[in-house]
Amino acid sequence: MKNLLRYIITRILLTIPMIFILLTLVFVILRIMPGDPVSAMLGAHAPEEVIEQKKEELGLNKPIIIQYINYMNKLLHFDLGESMIFKQKVIVPIREKLPATIELTFFGMFFTLLFGIFPGAYAASRRRKGRDFAIRIYANVVYCIPVYWMGLMLQLILGIWLGWFPIAGRVNARILVSTFERTGFYTLDTLLAGNLYAFGDVMLHLFLPSLTLGIVLSGIFVRLTRANMLDVLKSEYILSARARGIPERKIVYKHALKNAFIPVLTMLGLQFALLLAGAILTEMTFSWPGIGRLLMERIYLRDYPTIQGVIVVFALFVSIVSLIVDILYAMVDPRVKY
Amino acid sequence: MKYFFTVILALFLVTGFVFATGTKEGVKTLVYGTTEKVTDMDPASAYDFHTWEIFQNIYQGLLSYPPGKTNIVPGLAESYSANAKGDQFTFKLRKGVKFTDGTPFNAQAVKWTIDRVIALKGDPSWLVTDFVKSVDVVDDYTVRFNLKGPIAYFPALAATVPYFPENPNVYPKDKIVRNPSELKGGALVGLGPYKVVSFKRDEEVVLEANPDYYGEKPKIDRIVIRYFADATTMRLALEKGEIDLAYKTLNPSDIADLSKNSKFTTYKLSGPYIRYVCFETSESVFKNKILRQAFGALINRPEIMKKVFLNQNEPLYSMVPKGMIYHTDDFKNTLGDGNIALADKLLKEAGYSKEKPLTFDLWYTPSHYGDTEVDMAEVLKAQLEKSSMMKVTLKSAEWATYKQQWKAKQMAVYLLGWYPDYIDPDNYTAAFAGTSGSKGMGINFSDPKWDALFTKEQTNTDPAVRKAVFEKIQKMWTDEAPTVPIFQGNLYVFTRKDVGGVEIGPTLIFNYNALYFKK
Repeated sequence: MKNLLRYIITRILLTIPMIFILLTLVFVILRIMPGDPVSAMLGAHAPEEVIEQKKEELGLNKPIIIQYINYMNKLLHFDLGESMIFKQKVIVPIREKLPATIELTFFGMFFTLLFGIFPGAYAASRRRKGRDFAIRIYANVVYCIPVYWMGLMLQLILGIWLGWFPIAGRVNARILVSTFERTGFYTLDTLLAGNLYAFGDVMLHLFLPSLTLGIVLSGIFVRLTRANMLDVLKSEYILSARARGIPERKIVYKHALKNAFIPVLTMLGLQFALLLAGAILTEMTFSWPGIGRLLMERIYLRDYPTIQGVIVVFALFVSIVSLIVDILYAMVDPRVKY
Repeated sequence: MKYFFTVILALFLVTGFVFATGTKEGVKTLVYGTTEKVTDMDPASAYDFHTWEIFQNIYQGLLSYPPGKTNIVPGLAESYSANAKGDQFTFKLRKGVKFTDGTPFNAQAVKWTIDRVIALKGDPSWLVTDFVKSVDVVDDYTVRFNLKGPIAYFPALAATVPYFPENPNVYPKDKIVRNPSELKGGALVGLGPYKVVSFKRDEEVVLEANPDYYGEKPKIDRIVIRYFADATTMRLALEKGEIDLAYKTLNPSDIADLSKNSKFTTYKLSGPYIRYVCFETSESVFKNKILRQAFGALINRPEIMKKVFLNQNEPLYSMVPKGMIYHTDDFKNTLGDGNIALADKLLKEAGYSKEKPLTFDLWYTPSHYGDTEVDMAEVLKAQLEKSSMMKVTLKSAEWATYKQQWKAKQMAVYLLGWYPDYIDPDNYTAAFAGTSGSKGMGINFSDPKWDALFTKEQTNTDPAVRKAVFEKIQKMWTDEAPTVPIFQGNLYVFTRKDVGGVEIGPTLIFNYNALYFKK
């Protein structure tokens, strides 16, 4: 336990230089990119003195190194700065949009596991049979499919042709969000407000974006689970289970899958960054108002502090999830010692 | 674990389907989808089509346009008069009008607003500062605008957003407001038919009918504006019934499909939106007007309309759009369409040949004008290269970069578009070829003869004189060609069959209070 605590502290400390390096890179890239927030903000008619005044106000006329030191200084005081375009604390839109992204990635992860692990385990149990090949083809195909294309197809099939699911936004526009919004997590908020109609609507709205994200990312988990399952199914304890006449289904899904799941769990943490990257495209396709869409919108506006703020949040998010996964790993697998 | 997933999935679907079939609110709500964005929630700073549209529904001008029309009618002012010289306009204001927070509207609010616009120097402030010297409060309900000189089209200017009176108790005097949360009280307080009840940037803006509005009462209780990240999703949302109305901007293929769909009503608006080519005329290779003429001669507008826009837009042969007073088709009669022979002759005259072709970069920006922009640039390149004396390289940049580049004279030739600030040919000509306006657009064209003509049309109220000046300017345009017009954009609104009252005229002002449900 003491070692685990030390490990957690070490990991947290390692996150700091990681974010520092990442932010430095983002900071430099943004400044060397053509275009700046003032050009994005002011129109063609803006007089030169207004442009200069705006640059001075935003600190953009200072040397980059000074801008960098100022930014880092603020960050050390847990201040992500203020949006250059909309003059509000960067944390405000992030706090507003983050719950949407968390809900999406949470349910996306659920579908990733659902369409990744069980087909992977099943394919391993039917090795080199028709269904194994079919599942492997599925894994390869979905791995190659661009998220936006998959999203569009699901919108067309399940949203338009079958008419089962809504295709855009987090909730029906006819439901006034202010009547239930508290935490920003609409699934939770609607329940807290006792608005079951809105809750149902929110669940339906979540379905297609999270399914899209889940299917696209499931490919890698099918392959991973299948590969691990193949190793596990060759183990002596599986052979002895078979010898004792335990039903094959029970052997595969209860005994083998449990062990094969451990490396998959590790991968889950690593894949989380991919999940967030996928979430950006999914949010654009489904007009999902999360921080991925916020990032895209603000890149067009060259809103440096907001872009940097979102990157920090993404980095923290990935670090926290991979840390949790590592801790879970230690708990699930007694052989792991920290 | 398998059961765990099955249970969760079942819960997901069952709760969704079961609960979502429950009861709904009994409020008449119209959902309006758009791919536009809201910028600053401040009439002193916002200078974009969509934000102005919202302001036109939550605020009011001293003068306004009836839905779908171009004639100016009284708004917050009951009447107005000009002095004999035309450099003083006096407005008599309506009595008993209140802002949505109960603050009475009066002449002080008008003066306060104009003084604020002048002091803050926001992007649209030139619509005030270029013309207005000062504003005097004559009495509580009379206000006088002292102009810098006679302005023939001042009533049209007074109907633009920067002139919309704000509530001095709500807006800060010395600071531009980006978000409603920065206002005193945290909410937008206007005088229009609707008021903002919820504002989530890039997500949705919810408007509700203003019960205290002095004019025609809105027929729809609530309007929800939904912001879409892309046009395809918006089209699908309309087909799915998630939105009742889609406006700006669908892709041409979506417009073609939806127009054929009997479930929707299509409104085609031939608005005053224009697209054109700009040349940097002071330093680039295009400072030679012969090259600009050759470029203009090679453009084949009907082909662009057919290939890129599926004939959904109209070819344009003047910077003054069709349907507007004093419009002429001079470019058609002089340079023509796809006139390779003329272009070759002009290029030869300028010293170019097949062996020594004119090479240049043609710039476009897909991030501002949508998915069709790259197609238009490619068709243009192909048309220009039909002359063996031109070699074109296409280059693109995001909007922020694009603006920076035209200011820095880094683009010799580039594509732009224009929505008018006020409905007058002056706004389509002086803004591009007048010394000051031209500099702002990166064209850098300057000619005292042209400036004198602009001053003449700006200060003269006689329609015959103005007509003669604008006809002359349009003729001169084909010779100097500081810009070359390409097309006039039609805008499309699609609504469900049960929605009526879409009345958007050439002003492109969309009055939401005219909207209604047919049943």
